[in-house]
Amino acid sequence: MIRKFWILIKYEWINFRADKGLLILTLFTLLAGLYGIYYGTTEIDRQRRNIAALDSITEHNIEEMKAKYPGEADAGDIGYYHSTFAVNHPDTWASLSMGQRDVNPYYIKLRLLNLQSQLYDTENINPLKVLSGNFDLAFVFVYLFPLLIIGLCFNILSVEKEQGTLPLLLSQPLGLPLIVGAKLGFRVMIVLALALLLSIIAMGWGRVVPDVRIGMWLGTVVLYCLFWFGVAFLVAALHKGSAFNAITLLGVWLLLTIVIPALLNVYVAVTQPVPQALELTIRQREVVHGGWDKPKRETMEAFFARYPQWTDTTEIKGRFAWRWYYAFHQLGDMAVEDLAREYQEGLRARHQLVERLNVLSVPVNVQGVFNALAGSDLPSYLDFLQSATRHHDSLREFYYPFLFKQIPFRHADYQNEPRHSFTSSPDLDTAYGGMYKLLVSVLVVYVAGLVLFRLLPAMVK
Amino acid sequence: MSIVLEAKKLRKEYQDKLALKGLDLQIRSGEIFCLLGQNGAGKSTTINLFLGFIKPTSGAAYINGLEVASHTTKVKEYLAYIPENVMLYPNLSGLENLALFSSLAGFSYTQDELVQYLVGAGLPAEAVRRRVGGYSKGMRQKVGIAIAVAKQANVLLLDEPTSGLDPKASNEFSELLLRLSEAGTAIFMATHDIFRSKEVGTRVGIMREGELVDVLAASDLDANELEKLYLNYMHV
Amino acid sequence: MVRSIAQKEFISTLRDSRFMALSIIVLLLLLAATVVGLHSYSTLQKEREVAQQTVNDQFANSADRHPHRMAHYGSYAFRPKSSISFLDFGLDSYTGASVYMEAHRQNSANFSQAQQSSSLIRFGEMTVAFVLQMLIPLLIIFLCFAAITQEKETGTLKILLSQGISLRQLAWAKIAGYSRVVGLVVAPALVLASPLLFSRGGYDLEADVLLRLLLFIVFYLIYFFIFIVMSVVVSSWYQRSSTALVTLLGIWIFCCVILPKASANLGANLYTTPTKAQMDADVHEEVAKGIDGHNAHDQRAEALKQELLRKYGVKTLEELPVNFDGIQMAAGEEHSSRVYQEHFEELTGIFENQNRISEYASFLNPYLAVRHLSMGMAGSDFRHYIHFQNRAEEYRYHLAQGLNHIQATQLKYGDKQTRLSSDTWKSFKPFTYETPSAGWALGNHLLSLVALLLWLVLVCTVGVNRINNTQIT
Repeated sequence: MIRKFWILIKYEWINFRADKGLLILTLFTLLAGLYGIYYGTTEIDRQRRNIAALDSITEHNIEEMKAKYPGEADAGDIGYYHSTFAVNHPDTWASLSMGQRDVNPYYIKLRLLNLQSQLYDTENINPLKVLSGNFDLAFVFVYLFPLLIIGLCFNILSVEKEQGTLPLLLSQPLGLPLIVGAKLGFRVMIVLALALLLSIIAMGWGRVVPDVRIGMWLGTVVLYCLFWFGVAFLVAALHKGSAFNAITLLGVWLLLTIVIPALLNVYVAVTQPVPQALELTIRQREVVHGGWDKPKRETMEAFFARYPQWTDTTEIKGRFAWRWYYAFHQLGDMAVEDLAREYQEGLRARHQLVERLNVLSVPVNVQGVFNALAGSDLPSYLDFLQSATRHHDSLREFYYPFLFKQIPFRHADYQNEPRHSFTSSPDLDTAYGGMYKLLVSVLVVYVAGLVLFRLLPAMVK
Repeated sequence: MSIVLEAKKLRKEYQDKLALKGLDLQIRSGEIFCLLGQNGAGKSTTINLFLGFIKPTSGAAYINGLEVASHTTKVKEYLAYIPENVMLYPNLSGLENLALFSSLAGFSYTQDELVQYLVGAGLPAEAVRRRVGGYSKGMRQKVGIAIAVAKQANVLLLDEPTSGLDPKASNEFSELLLRLSEAGTAIFMATHDIFRSKEVGTRVGIMREGELVDVLAASDLDANELEKLYLNYMHV
Repeated sequence: MVRSIAQKEFISTLRDSRFMALSIIVLLLLLAATVVGLHSYSTLQKEREVAQQTVNDQFANSADRHPHRMAHYGSYAFRPKSSISFLDFGLDSYTGASVYMEAHRQNSANFSQAQQSSSLIRFGEMTVAFVLQMLIPLLIIFLCFAAITQEKETGTLKILLSQGISLRQLAWAKIAGYSRVVGLVVAPALVLASPLLFSRGGYDLEADVLLRLLLFIVFYLIYFFIFIVMSVVVSSWYQRSSTALVTLLGIWIFCCVILPKASANLGANLYTTPTKAQMDADVHEEVAKGIDGHNAHDQRAEALKQELLRKYGVKTLEELPVNFDGIQMAAGEEHSSRVYQEHFEELTGIFENQNRISEYASFLNPYLAVRHLSMGMAGSDFRHYIHFQNRAEEYRYHLAQGLNHIQATQLKYGDKQTRLSSDTWKSFKPFTYETPSAGWALGNHLLSLVALLLWLVLVCTVGVNRINNTQIT
């Protein structure tokens, strides 16, 4: 039994080597995978370099400020003209699965002004490029590997019938299950070897932090490939011709990777509408600019309710004072706190809805696992927004003593200004959940395949 | 001589037709049984039942005393089969095809032995290592013969084996069958070829509409009588 | 004879229940995509109209303010959806919907759909264009892959040829028959699209929209025809149907899945996009060399001051008949806008270089050609987006300069207190955006148009001529 299995495997190998089409297909997938790795690492490296360049922009800005205010300065001027950056460093795994990192900004330029008008500024992105999406390793695995598996397996049994070798093969002492098992086994070995090779190259190239995610990534890749082998097995168990199999398998691929996700998108947009971010910025503008027209005492009292520690500071007499200016800017943020929270919670809820619905499409689930491992999806962006919000708060904490106690801002004070750094962290819970769902999908497919294989008799002749 | 091939009330029905109506048959080792009949008479059905490719509606087929339907894999160790049109893996050479099938049957021949089987079956020596994709029907048939012979089975099932062969190759094939039967192989051959049946057969069966209507000892009659008898049955 | 073969293909396809089932699925998806597209279009459109109206009202009714205060208060430009963008969302989900327009600075267009969504959106959206670009070609492949191979496999090809028909005639007959079938599948959706488009009414540029829709349909019909001819041609190359099918599916995967992504990614790798932070810093650096509207001690401001004093023959700024504050602001705005515009054009140029890789790839891939043309006609392509951004910047500039002019003419030098009545703001025309004409849109995609037509000509001449060399036995 085992011996015959290996004999069949050996001849599958000879057949595979002799088949130019299959060789080209495999080689092409390998090259696509290598390009995906190259693309992912260069893009993430570029983001790293861009983030590193922000430091020199900040330094440059400080030099400029020092030149503009050679002696002691009013902290209000510094807060107005001086900008720093909140940055979202990519996780080392992001080069394998870039997720939404190209759509969502990975840094935010911040001044002491109101936060909400600065928080959502976008990066320079070419919309055609982000529409086309990323050719990263996750894309190669999620989209192209199923196609490789389909290409290798669509005629696994039907070709034996169509070229007429099945009767002769079955007149030997071996059963159909052994033949199908050996053929699938051989292809599983090729595909998994390719997948593991690409994963290891990507991990080495991207210099990922070696942790439990290595096992989780490889496990997900293996399970996902097995899922598609299961689908191919299921279709082979129908005992139809090669053309039927090819169409059916491609149809399943199209359904799972494109049609269902597109329909889910519509469903999510309708059932989980995001509170209007526009409303937030418009309302906030009204409050901030209204600040100029309100009596100063009214503004300051509202502000002191939040910051009682500054209550005792001197009364504002003139037409303008920076502490009053920043107070009404902060009141602008406070006025839309609820909306801002609703907006971010709405986005999070939307993501969670997708997490629940992804049982309907294994590729969506697997992409979710990859993005969760790489910390490159919406939740980690929202975490970044929160981190940036906290950073802006700490900027206020830093500047307010200068403003309210009217302490002059000295050159030495620049280096005490808080700096922000945030690194996307993986979401292992989501990843484990996704892997569990994936495992269930794999089992379902194989059980269904085995049942069909048992039920439908093979027509040898 | 022991009985190696046996059918007991072997019956096969499809939804729309009755393919085999309770066949009873015994074939001993060293015997060549030729089954004559028109297309659709049930010849191939009988062979497929012995091969276990299809399951009988009732009754049973036995090889070496083992019921085929319940020992589908085991019985294949005892039988060899040559289909009407031998189809092989086009990307492999004749030699590689033979090596595959004989190793699946449990043999580990050397390259030289394999080449001998192929040449012995009539395949030109220079074609042995060429890909089967470029073979003619006759050449593939010869590889099929080599596969069957190399299996050293004690039952040989043949479905119109000579239909693709030229007269010379056909004669060589007949001689091969006689040699195998002398060595004790039981041969069951479905064919249209009355004259060849008379020439090689020990017994000749005539099948019509799923029924074995007559079984004759080939030595009892000459070829012309056989043809007359056959045509007689066909026109009833 | 050709006509009778075409008729035979048409009838036998209609009797093929598997094909009909697939067609009905595709047709249903097409209708679903139309409904979804229209719903999403009208929701977004309404949101933006309401938001635009709100900010317009806020501006017109804002409190009595100093004009420069008003310039900082600014306004928003919301990008209206182009009326046939419901057929092809194109880049709309990835481009910002609103721009905040204020004095001294140009803001990015923020709040794109994609940013408000998880990575699910990256799997693609259910639009009419998606069905037309990806699914219909697949249906065509399914319809045509066995066109010639089946005749070979069943041996009917020899019989047909022995009747005196040439292989080329046979191919054209098949193409004619299949074209009728495809027409039958797509016609209902396209016919439905036009009343949906025009029933909403209230649109002034009816003729232009009609032209866009017409071109949209024509481009897709050409695209389908290319796929039909290509499938028949490929079918003639092979002896076995399954080989022809696998080859065609391979072509489809390459054209519709791999190449679009690869070419867009390659473009981005070849031409590096500067970060917004770097661009802002560069703009700031260059502007600093110009006039700072808020800093009267600046050297260049000093020069401007001297020039004005000379011109009006007075000694102090207070004596000037115009308010120097406003003049200085206007000069600063003019300078900073020019610098920004240069950088913005540079950025746009980089994006266009990146996109050009995809445009050249249209010559390898009819899918990309029709995708660009389709987005162009739907008004959801890159150029329309830039067009909107430029209109918004223009408006922003004129708004700021209008307010600077008011400051220069109605206020005294050094006056930071006077508030003008809110009636002053009502004299500013609110932001409106008009989608440019169909001709303009088409002119942006000449390369893709040439590629699509070249494909058409090539498959019909070189492709079909090669059928004559096919191996019959």
